[in-house]
Formats: sequence, C-alpha cells, structure tokens
Amino acid sequence: MTSPILHVEDLKATYGPVQVLHGIDFTVFPKEIVVVLGANGAGKTTTLRSISGMIQTSGRIELNGEETRNLTPSEIVRRGVAHVPQGRGTFPELTVEENLKVGAFIRTDKDIKIDIDTCYENYPVLYERKTQMAGSLSGGEQQMLAVSRALMSRPQLLLMDEPSLGLAPQIVEDLFTRFVAINREQETTMLIVEQNAQLALDIANRGYVLESGRISVEGKAEELINDDAIRRAYLGA
Amino acid sequence: MDLFLQRVVDAITNGSTYALIAVAMVLIFKATTLINFAQGEQAMLGAFAVLQLWNWGIPMWGAVIIGMLFSGILAAGLERAFIRKFDPADHLPLVIITLGLFLVINAVAAIIWRFDPQSFPQLFPSGNAFTYNNVRLSWYSIFAFGSCVLVLFVLQTLLTRTKIGLAFRAVSSNLESSRLSGIKIGPTLQFGWALAAAAGTLGASIYAANPVLQIEPSMMLRALIFSVTAAALGGLDSLWGALIGGLTIGFVQSVVVQYIPFIPNEMSLSAAVVVLLIVLTLRPSGVLGTRAVERV
Amino acid sequence: MASKIQISNGTRTYRNSRIVMWACFVISLLLIAFAYVDVGTISIGSNNYNLSLIRLNKAIAYTIAILGLQVVIGYTGQIALGQSFFFGTGAYISAWLIADHSWPFLVTLLIVIPSCFIIGMVLGLPALRIRGLYLALLTFGLAAVFPSIVKLDKLYTYTGGAGGKLTSNYKFIAPAWLPFDEVAQALQKLPILGGFFGDGPLSNREESRLWKFILFCVIAGICFWLVYNLIHSRPGRAMRAIRDNETSAAVSGINLAITKTLSFGVASALGGVGGAIYVAEVGIASPDDFSSLVAIYLIVGLVVGGVGTLPGAVLGGLIYALVPDWASSTQSISFVPQRWLQGPTGSLILGLLLIILTLFLPGGMVTGWRKLKNRLKPTEVRAS
Repeated sequence: MTSPILHVEDLKATYGPVQVLHGIDFTVFPKEIVVVLGANGAGKTTTLRSISGMIQTSGRIELNGEETRNLTPSEIVRRGVAHVPQGRGTFPELTVEENLKVGAFIRTDKDIKIDIDTCYENYPVLYERKTQMAGSLSGGEQQMLAVSRALMSRPQLLLMDEPSLGLAPQIVEDLFTRFVAINREQETTMLIVEQNAQLALDIANRGYVLESGRISVEGKAEELINDDAIRRAYLGA
Repeated sequence: MDLFLQRVVDAITNGSTYALIAVAMVLIFKATTLINFAQGEQAMLGAFAVLQLWNWGIPMWGAVIIGMLFSGILAAGLERAFIRKFDPADHLPLVIITLGLFLVINAVAAIIWRFDPQSFPQLFPSGNAFTYNNVRLSWYSIFAFGSCVLVLFVLQTLLTRTKIGLAFRAVSSNLESSRLSGIKIGPTLQFGWALAAAAGTLGASIYAANPVLQIEPSMMLRALIFSVTAAALGGLDSLWGALIGGLTIGFVQSVVVQYIPFIPNEMSLSAAVVVLLIVLTLRPSGVLGTRAVERV
Repeated sequence: MASKIQISNGTRTYRNSRIVMWACFVISLLLIAFAYVDVGTISIGSNNYNLSLIRLNKAIAYTIAILGLQVVIGYTGQIALGQSFFFGTGAYISAWLIADHSWPFLVTLLIVIPSCFIIGMVLGLPALRIRGLYLALLTFGLAAVFPSIVKLDKLYTYTGGAGGKLTSNYKFIAPAWLPFDEVAQALQKLPILGGFFGDGPLSNREESRLWKFILFCVIAGICFWLVYNLIHSRPGRAMRAIRDNETSAAVSGINLAITKTLSFGVASALGGVGGAIYVAEVGIASPDDFSSLVAIYLIVGLVVGGVGTLPGAVLGGLIYALVPDWASSTQSISFVPQRWLQGPTGSLILGLLLIILTLFLPGGMVTGWRKLKNRLKPTEVRAS
C-alpha cells in the first residue's frame, strides 16, 4: 500500500468556547478524490482550515509523513497544499490573469506561463475574460477561477470547500466533471468537503461523513452511495 | 484673469504635495482599511531626517533618498511592533494606536529639532520658469507637480508589474485567499507601510522645500487635514484618485475660497473639512473609489 | 470557611455600605480641597510638582469632556474624535455670556448645555451615513478647524479673535453660609495632620477657589449621575447594542438615527459643560486651548482610564491635567539629557501611554485594576 499524502489523527479544534472538532481521523492517499460530507456546522470548513494552518488545533496533521500542524499557511502552501475557500476564493479587484499569477506566487520556475495556458485550456471562458476584474465574473466563472488559481501552485493536494455552493446544478456538474479530468491529467489529489452528496460521491473514490465534529461513517464512495443511513440523511431517498 | 491663473498655479503646487501624503494614506488604507493618523507626522520626521543628513553634508537628493529609506524602515518597524497584532476590522484600537504614534513622533521631533522653524534645502531650481503678464510659474511648482506624477507612475508600476506589488494588491483584495496562496501577509503589509512612509517623506520634503515655507514639527498638522480630504475625495483606495483629490483640494484652497466673498480667507482648512463632509455624506466611497459591500 | 464577608446586592447592609463608601469619598474630596487650597507642591528630587486646586479644577473640566467621549465612543461605539470642538464651543459660549453680558457662571450653563446638545446632534447627523474610520476622519477634521473658526474676523466681537476672550470680570464668591473658615481652623488643629492644612484663616482668593472646586465637583457629580442613569436606561441599552453590532441593533428595532444623534448630543453637551468649567477656571477662552491636540489628549484620557468605564473618565481627566504639567515642571532627572526634558515630554508620555495601554491593557487602567482586584480576591462562597 502506498503511504498516505495526508494523515489526520485525533484532530480537535475550537472556535472560542465552542469545540467544533472532537478528534477526527482520516487519511487521503495520492491521486485519490476523497469527499467529506456533512451538514452545516458539522465542522467541514474547520477541518480544511486546520489542514491549511489557518487555525490553531490539537492532534496530528501529517503531510507526506511530516507533522505540519504548527506551520503557517504560507509554509503549508509551499509543501504542496492548495485550498479553495468557501464562496470567495478569488481576488475581485485583480484581473483574471493576475488572479492566476497570485496562485503561482510561491513558484519561481519558468513554467508559470505554460500553466496559465493550461488553465485557459481547461476553462476557455477564463481566457476570454483574462483582462477583466475577477469581481465582474459570474458565480460559476469565479469558482472556475478559484480552482484554477489554486492549481497554479501545482499542488499535490487540493482542498475544496463546498465548490457547489450557490451555483446552478448544470454548472456544478460541469465543474465536477472537470475535477475528475484534472485529477486524472495532473494527478492532483483532492479533498472535497460537500453537502451535495450525490455529485460528490459520484466523482470520489472514498468518503467520510462528519457529524457534529465526529466522523460517523467512512468507506468507498460506491458503498456510501448505497448506505441506507446516508441515503436518508443526504440523498433524500 | 491673471490673478485667477496664478491661483490655479498655486492650486496645482499645493495640491501636488497634498497628493503625495494622500497617496501614502491610500497605500495603507488599500492594504489594511486603516487610516493612519500618524502619516503626516511620519512624513515630517522623514523630512527632518533629510534636513539632518543635508546638514551633515550629504548631497541634497542623496539625503532625500536616505531619508525615504529611513522612514520606510521605521514604518516597517512600526507596523510590526504596533499594528500587526490588531484585528483590522476593529477600528478603534488602530485609530488610537495611530493617534498615539502621532503624539510620540511629534514630541520626539520637537525634542530633537525644537519648535523653531528651520529652512529646508532647495530641492528644485529657484526662480520662475515662465512668466506671462503677472502669472508666474515657478520651477518649484513644475517640479512639485512633476514629482507627484512621477511618484504615482513609479508606484503604479511597482504595484502592477512586480511580484511584491501583486502580492500587495492581492492582500488588499482578499486576505484569506492571499494567505491560502502562500503570500506572507505580515511582510507584505510591512512593504506597504514602508512604501507609504517613503512616499510621505518625499511629499513632506517637497512641501518643506517650498520657498515660502519652513520646516517645523507641527507643519504637517494642517497638511494632514488637506491630504486626508484629498485621499477621501479619491475614495481612499485609488492612487490616481489621490492626485485628483489633492488637486481638487488645492483648487478649493486657493481658488474657490478666494472667490467666494462670504468665506473668509483663513477658512481654507474649514473649506477642506466641509468638502470632506460633503464627500463622505454623499459618496462615502469617494469619487474614484470602489464601493464596498458591507457584510454582516 | 471564608472569613471575608461578601455583601450581596440589594440588601440593606449593602445599601448602607454604599452610603458609607460615598460619604468617605466626599469627605476625602473635601479634605483634599482644604489641603491643597493653598498652592500645594510635592517635591521629588529637585523637582516641584504642583498639585493646587487649579490643576484639579482643570482635571474636572477634562473629566466631564471625557465622560462625553465615554458616551459616544465607549457606549455607542462611534469613533468621534472631535470632542475638543464641543469643549471649545462650550467654553466660548460661556466666556461670551460672562464677559459681554455679565451672566453668572452657573446660568451660562443653561445656554451652554442646550446649544452644545443641539450643535452636537446636528453635526452628528452625517454620522448616520458616515461610519467607522470615515467618521474618525471627519471628526478629527472638525477638531482641527475649531481654532481657525474662533479666530475669524467676523466673530471677533464674540470670540476676541486670536487673543481670546477674558472672563476675569466674573468672580466666584463663596456663599457666606458655608463655614469654610471654621472647617479650615478645625482641620488645622488636628494633631499630626494639622500641618497639611496650612495656617490661619482662608484668604478670599482661597475661599473662592475652594468654592469653585466644590461647585465643579457637584456639577461633575450630577453629570456622572445623569450619564450613569442614561446608560442603564432604554436609550443606553440601545447605544450599547449599536456599539456591539450595528446591524443586529437595527434589525432588532432600535432606531439607529435617534439613538446615535442622542448619543452625539449628550456627548457634546458634556463637552460643552467641561469647556465652560475650563474657562471658569483659567479665566480666558483662547483659540489654541482647543486645538486638535486637545482632541487627541482627551482621547488619551478616555483610553487611559478605560473605554466604556465611568470611573475611567476621572482617572483620564486627572492624567490629562497633571501629566503634561508635571512633565514640563520636571527640570532634572538623572540619566535623562536636559534637552529631552525641555521638549514636549508631556505629549511624549501621553502618546506612549496611549500606545502601551492599547497594546497591553486594552481595557484601560480601571479595568486593569478591577482584574487585579479579582485576582487578589480569594475565591469564596457567595452569600446568597
């Protein structure tokens, strides 16, 4: 078995007096798409923010076997983690192209231009709008830009916080289809937190269900889709 | 007519120096949505450093450049020591800190250099470049305006063409995503503070180099109000807005106030505050500023 | 197990202990007044520090102005920096009435309070649209223009221009029924402590100074009482709601416009009362006593005492009145170069205080003291 890219053990986090995560464990292996399902307030966003070093936590977070819990966000990005935050992942006052350049901020190599072109190939609409302010894009375009921006750092692991939030179903489907393609072509490992269980499980290899700060169910995506409890809770069947 | 033209010239001269301080405030506001009340005092301290260096025998423009570096480094230090630990969304502590810096810097300058006005080196050729009837366009006016435009071009280039400039704009646009893109927020803001202080120092030096003015620790008290108004007119987050705001305020000060009979001469400061009031009431995001959306 | 007695709120013992506390406070104020009615100084090394009633009277004036800032900044959360504007307005109105119309001081307050209240409300109107930093900017600008307004030629007859308006025609004469002399004599006869209270009967000047101090204390007391009641009343709760979250306050049905303008009005009225007392003490209203620097010093007073604490205003007023004065009367300290002592050291100290307190003790000194007290107090069983 290959060694995990991300291993989280007994992760606990609090916001002020409120404990949000009560010790969760999960693992992500290279080239996987792993989805974390959960309702509002289950601790999904907190989980991702813990991994990228945005909040203080206790427990263990290992990236390629190295403890990263006490690193700053900028150090964690440099270790190959990119994070698309919920909602506003773009820089509204910067042009589309500048957004992508910010994404490549940690890189000093010469291939940035090539990667920008790759982004434009993935999402041609971004090429059409490359000199527009990101703030003027539609919600779907902004999410594409946010994902592209995150990919610009050439991450090993891409964290995505509810990419489907507030988008029309058709756009979400396109977006998720591209995730699969990116996962195959660029071999980017993905950890997606979602409420939209059906879509997420369709593209995922494995999944975890987070309930009130604890992992309640875990398993292969196919198993989860057929799990009665999950069907009732998330798939409305 | 001649008088009018002369006053327009004066307006441009004054407006350019206000614009330079305003630009400094804009840089800091862009990055942290903070209005630095100590900006004028930092600039004054920088100008005094320039004067001191010049008195020690360093060539004039060399002194200006070292003075700008000095105030830039000082500002970076101030940011690290006093500003960074506060939440940018909580305005009161930050306002209080910058007011504290205002008092401290003013007092330190007065302790070191005393309150007596001193003459500042002539940065620009003296005399008039151009005389038409009674309208005199001095070299000082030309250079003051020229330097202002030059500084804006340099800043513009720095912010759009360099990596640190891009980082700076990213931070001012979206703090969270900047951190998630690997930008180190602290040093980036420090860079903004340093840049602002350097621009301010240049502004104060040019202001003090005005042949009719002298340098003294309280020289920026009035200029601060004019500059703040200029910055607000431009929307507080637009570099070129600061220039337009500065020129507008210069215009109000030396043209409008002179021609409206019921506004006495010494009311230029009040006129600036009235302009500030009108701008903030009618269009809080300024003339060129971006409108902010308030979130709950 | 706890030997200390905890007196709980609302009982008769509690009420009595409060009365005793306040009585002690008033008596100690009076003792201070009698002790320092003559020019009192403290000597530390070769430096003499003035602690006369003149300083304390100024401190009362600042305290009331800072109390106004407590209302608008501390309780309503509006960053209004221009208190010196209203301080000056009150001072000039009072000076004008006293000098040109020979009104008695107390009667001028009847004009000062409503006019400052109204001016404050009117100038507060833009604050309904302008918020946060923008408001701070604007009010700072307001503070900066005050001296140039009173220096206007057109207002010369009212304000006296750059020279200021003298009010020395009005003398504070202590009412004859007040037994100042007798009290002073009695205090002087006290064993051991008698020496602190000077010698012989009080001169007229001393009596009038004493009378002023008592009068100002009473005015300050009334102001505190009114503000205390205001912040514990319905509008006061509305103010605090706005401070904590403006949007939530608005959606819970609080009328932002009325509450904010009320808060501005009250703050300005208090500023005006402070200014009137200031003028009554120094005998002249002059433009530079109301510069933007004064506005900043008042903010220092607010922060040093503690934003949002009423006793903080007293501490703030004292610090504002005493620190710059004492700093400039410090002639020599070992290790500190003479040049430094001759500069504006008061301003330096106040600025440093502002920064240090904001960094390390955000609640100000009063809150700091309360925290310390709580820490020292052993945890004990509360009597129910």
